[in-house]
Amino acid sequence: MSDSPDNSSTTISTPTANSGSFDSLKHQFQQIWQVLAALVLIYLVFFVLSPPFRNLDTLLSIFGQASILAILACGTTVVLISGGLDLSVGSIFAVVGVVVGIALAEYEIPVFLAVIIGLAVGTLLGAVNGIVQVLTGVPAFIVTLGGLTAYKGVAEILASGRDLSRFPDSFQMLGSGYFMPMTIMFGVALLTGLFLTKTRLGNHAFAIGGNEEVARLSGVKVAKSRIYYYMIGGLMAATAAILEVSKLNFAMPARGQSYELFAIAAVVIGGTSLFGGRGGVGKTLIGMLIMQTIIVGLAYLGVSTSVQRITIGGIIILAVYWDVWRRRSR
Amino acid sequence: MTSSSSQKTILKANGISKHYGGIKALDDVDLELRDGEVLAIVGDNGAGKSTLVKAITGAISRTSGTILLDGQAVRIDSPTDAKTAGIETVYQDLALVNELSITKNVFLGREIAKDNIFGRLFGALDFKKMDSEIRALFQKLDIRISDIYRDAEAFSGGQRQAVALSKTVMFGKRIAILDEPTAALGVRESKMAMDLVASLKDHGLSVIMITHNMQHVLNYCDRVMVLRLGRLAAVRDVKDVDGDTLVGLITGANESKVA
Repeated sequence: MSDSPDNSSTTISTPTANSGSFDSLKHQFQQIWQVLAALVLIYLVFFVLSPPFRNLDTLLSIFGQASILAILACGTTVVLISGGLDLSVGSIFAVVGVVVGIALAEYEIPVFLAVIIGLAVGTLLGAVNGIVQVLTGVPAFIVTLGGLTAYKGVAEILASGRDLSRFPDSFQMLGSGYFMPMTIMFGVALLTGLFLTKTRLGNHAFAIGGNEEVARLSGVKVAKSRIYYYMIGGLMAATAAILEVSKLNFAMPARGQSYELFAIAAVVIGGTSLFGGRGGVGKTLIGMLIMQTIIVGLAYLGVSTSVQRITIGGIIILAVYWDVWRRRSR
Repeated sequence: MTSSSSQKTILKANGISKHYGGIKALDDVDLELRDGEVLAIVGDNGAGKSTLVKAITGAISRTSGTILLDGQAVRIDSPTDAKTAGIETVYQDLALVNELSITKNVFLGREIAKDNIFGRLFGALDFKKMDSEIRALFQKLDIRISDIYRDAEAFSGGQRQAVALSKTVMFGKRIAILDEPTAALGVRESKMAMDLVASLKDHGLSVIMITHNMQHVLNYCDRVMVLRLGRLAAVRDVKDVDGDTLVGLITGANESKVA
């Protein structure tokens, strides 16, 4: 079948033992260098424009601010790659924060147990998102929009009349400073990346997001897999919530508001397709760093929060336009 | 290209119907596939060809009908059931995921996990093994695609069809079902795809093929069944028909002459 003009891909080559891993590394780099270049460029622009921007603390605070949202965004990446959408993770974040707060402040249970309960609650709420979609056939947008308000309500009911603050020192360690959140962020990103690229379920996310019908006809268990992806989204939201509660040393149901949108924005800016089938967590990390660099950089230039929001909004549209444009040109 | 009645029947589908509300997309159709043959399914647009194939392979639910493999009744209610029974299907336009590499496409739904704790616990995949199996398969079938890490969408229609057909050899233990394997292919690519179809026999597969191309029926198939308006209109040995007869059977012109 070698009558395509593109001969490079059709001629027989003799593969060496290493060509496989090298080729796939090359492919990954080709996909990521553009966003990486954009990040460096944006950083350099602020570096030139603002003298106080030029120090290590600024760089660290960019990473620090990015870390909690980036963890959340790792889950969003998985869901978007599979062709899904989860608008409820900000509210799952709120519920988990409150639950962990209650567990620690009111019941004073051991920290590790509170963490596990928090992770379990997040995963469970994610599972509900997935199961409702699979059973009812209602689109992800609507189901998770319902989750967005419903889970928020749950968080408010749980938190009402409670003082959820002053947690044990060992818990506060998790999210304070830069080191722990960043380490956990890189750990979560690494695990999510391994999941997506190396495992069966991870590979099926790309297949389902790329063409659900082909995946189904190929014997992929689409419904079951989808539920797992939403569970991962919930788990990541819970991880992020636990870190933030620890960092702030208080929990309240108002936290996590609009986080789902920041997460989706970072995923999309990084180059994961909003339409499913393509993407990766490396891109999401870079996307989150781009967003935070712009926010911090603009703040250093004295630009108001409102104008920062307008800028981020414009960039999100631009990023999706880029995706649409690339799809059209294929 | 011989077919004799002494050949044993490998697959038999009896009374297959698919109704959508009051519309009978497929009405009481029987299908018989003999061991080692290439059976063509022809018919006009909307005659029920794809519906028949999908109903047999569990891609859509049947209103009624039973399926026998080697004379034994088998339950085929999902694509996975069909695969388990040794039936591999290449659906038109639904063969490959554009966003996946060639390796991941061929093994989609049947990935090989690593033979260690990561494979068993987390479903960690053995890409090295899958890659090498694909290279061996492509060599066997003379498919010249070396860059199996590239996304499927990067390849030409002919190459994509070759990859899709290779899945039937890789996994189809008994039967390959092909829905218009040369649709949207150029003349040269069609010829190569059909040569590949013809070679499926050599790999122990019996083939059912939907086609619109009468030349392909006459050159590559042993028997042909004609569907018209959801019903079985005729089954013939290919050596007993010519292009005009087939067109007559497809359009129903012959019958109206009789009537």
